[in-house]
Amino acid sequence: MVQTFPRPNEERLYVERQAVDASCPECGSADVKAYPVLSEGGWWHVEKCQDCLASISRVPAPALGSYVPLGTTVK
Amino acid sequence: MFGVDVGGTFTDVVAIRDGKVEVTKVPSSRIDPAGSVVEGGRRLGVAGSTVFNHASTMGLNAVLERRLPKVAFLTTDGFRDILDRGTIHRPLDAQTDPAWRRTFGDAARPLVPRYLRRGIRERKTAQGHTLFPLDEAQARHELEILGRTGVEGIAICLINAYVDPEHELRLRELVHEVLPGVEVSISSQTSPLAKEYERASTTVIDVIMKLLFSDYAGQLDRDLGGLGFDGQLNFADCAANLLPWQEALERPFRILFAGPAAGTVSSVHLGRVIGRDHILCADVGGTSTDVSIIVDGKPFVQNTFEIEHDLIINALSTEVSSVGAGGGSLVTVSTSGGILVGPGSAGAEPGPACYGRGGTQPTVTDAVLLMGVLDPNGFAGGEFELDAAASEAAFLALDTPVSFEERVRTTYRLAVAHMAEEILNVAVRHGVDIRDFSLMAYGAAGGMLLPAALDLLPLKEVIVPPHPGLFSAIGLLSTDQVYYESESAYVVFGPESIDGVATVFERMEANLRARLGAAAEGLPVRRSFDGRLVGQSWEIPFVQLPEGPISAETLPAIANAFHDAYEARNGNRFDMFPVEGVTYRVEIIVPAEKVEYDLAPEVAPFPAAPEGTLTLRHVAAEPIQAEWFNRDALAAGASITGPAVIRESLSTTYIPPGQDALIGRAGEIIITRGATK
Repeated sequence: MVQTFPRPNEERLYVERQAVDASCPECGSADVKAYPVLSEGGWWHVEKCQDCLASISRVPAPALGSYVPLGTTVK
Repeated sequence: MFGVDVGGTFTDVVAIRDGKVEVTKVPSSRIDPAGSVVEGGRRLGVAGSTVFNHASTMGLNAVLERRLPKVAFLTTDGFRDILDRGTIHRPLDAQTDPAWRRTFGDAARPLVPRYLRRGIRERKTAQGHTLFPLDEAQARHELEILGRTGVEGIAICLINAYVDPEHELRLRELVHEVLPGVEVSISSQTSPLAKEYERASTTVIDVIMKLLFSDYAGQLDRDLGGLGFDGQLNFADCAANLLPWQEALERPFRILFAGPAAGTVSSVHLGRVIGRDHILCADVGGTSTDVSIIVDGKPFVQNTFEIEHDLIINALSTEVSSVGAGGGSLVTVSTSGGILVGPGSAGAEPGPACYGRGGTQPTVTDAVLLMGVLDPNGFAGGEFELDAAASEAAFLALDTPVSFEERVRTTYRLAVAHMAEEILNVAVRHGVDIRDFSLMAYGAAGGMLLPAALDLLPLKEVIVPPHPGLFSAIGLLSTDQVYYESESAYVVFGPESIDGVATVFERMEANLRARLGAAAEGLPVRRSFDGRLVGQSWEIPFVQLPEGPISAETLPAIANAFHDAYEARNGNRFDMFPVEGVTYRVEIIVPAEKVEYDLAPEVAPFPAAPEGTLTLRHVAAEPIQAEWFNRDALAAGASITGPAVIRESLSTTYIPPGQDALIGRAGEIIITRGATK
């Protein structure tokens, strides 16, 4: 069986950014969003100010991001 | 003359008046750092002094502990993580450790958090051409965001700005427009040298130091003036050269690391007086021993130094190596039950167990107290009594099968062995024969521990200088004012390119003379460059240029000077390869008033008169009797046979069995192996 993968329609890969009801403690902006980032040390769930880019919250996310190996789900 | 060495715990103040040394120690204050210095000046009477020379670890400690003002970093778009990556060197012990992180990276303790590092759209080429013009609208936008975050300072380091500073200068103007009152440092003025990471980290440190020191220095100048001081306030740089305080604050990254170099220049000065020009210097402090080397009367100066691994600053600095062994080094037990010394330290608080301030772990000082070398009633000028019972209890509490006597003896021997190892390492790294070298032992614990290194290393002698505990502060009164300029340009030396190099030197010399004005009149300019063979990626620093013009006629002599320096450093030479210049430097030395050692007339050695005898324990299998002496009562020519102890108000010197000591003409104690050794 030939497995085919459709060409992506999006010009760029991106993650959805969820708006967060908070204000930035560094610059006072109300534009704060939550999304995953891949950084030194692996994936992180962050809440970042979209104006000054200060991280308001930063917690480790699963090491492989959205990919969950089957073996880790088998009890 | 005043010399002040501000440490993390104490501020050492030395005043020299009519050849007489007066000293005081003031507790350093983090809340009011200038206050302790002014208090020292008040205690010893600063009115009428000609110079007040100052070295401080305040900036270094602030960087190490990350007690930093909020600063931002602007660089060419796409390069904002250069501060994170460093030079990409990993230490040897981290080569296979996936969890290792740079201390100054974002995952650890960054000097500038990532959101305050901003890319600016612009680009200059390595030849100085404009590839992309500066996007002023984008720059203003980024500055407005930084303004809202409340930054206090901004470091600007654009790629290739060392070749053409146009964009950096304009960006600085924009900062002044958009964020008035915010301190700015730009790399093309702070450190206009090639290699963007070192230039960037130096510029960041510079703006941090501006913020830390500008109020401090101004307050110091005002308050000392209020005490009647109308002389020159100087700051010492990383090579312990002096800079008038206003000059120091123009590029304050140079004063980050002043303390350790002061002991080395003090050794140079004393060495000149007593006729020693090959010296290994060891400053034994509470936590560590700092080792440096003097060859032919000159300390080994390097063109960069590391604050932490890979956190590099482009500053001329005296090379100092440290080992984690000092008077306060903690004694611990290995998993196999053996005794270990250091690198942990009891610090000043709680301090060794014998201080009675809550310390329960034994230290090297506890061992030396139990040996009978230290006087429990006369420690630190009699400021407090030492509790030998607490030392004994701390050693007894160690969970080891080693006997009590061996615990104490091994502690002392291991501490000396660690120091001796580092001293040997420094000698080997510089390719010198240690038998030609004297060891200058200072720091309050230097005389107590280092004479025993004579039994481990084939050193010529150990010299304990006068006032060993304050020797570094005295070093601030043993040095000159040194002014320099440097620039980078990659130029392969040849008949057609050498005129460009000459132009760089002429420009730097003119700038330097204009800066100094009348103070530089009649003083020679020393010219040097950092160069390499074409194709290499590292440089030979401080190649001295021959006297005279730089031209196609003198090119062979210049190339030869490089090959000589290359051979001296690497042991071989490659005259057939062309030389590439990288960094060029001019330097003017303005002589400053220095401490003078009174030399006693030369006399034939005579036996010194002891003050009494004491019992030394844990030195040999059985307790042994030794004579003890008061250093203040020992005249030049007095000779002592070990074992013996020489006491003075702030320090103790221990001469082990089999060694002899002689008081030199400048008051130094010269310790050698005895005739039977």
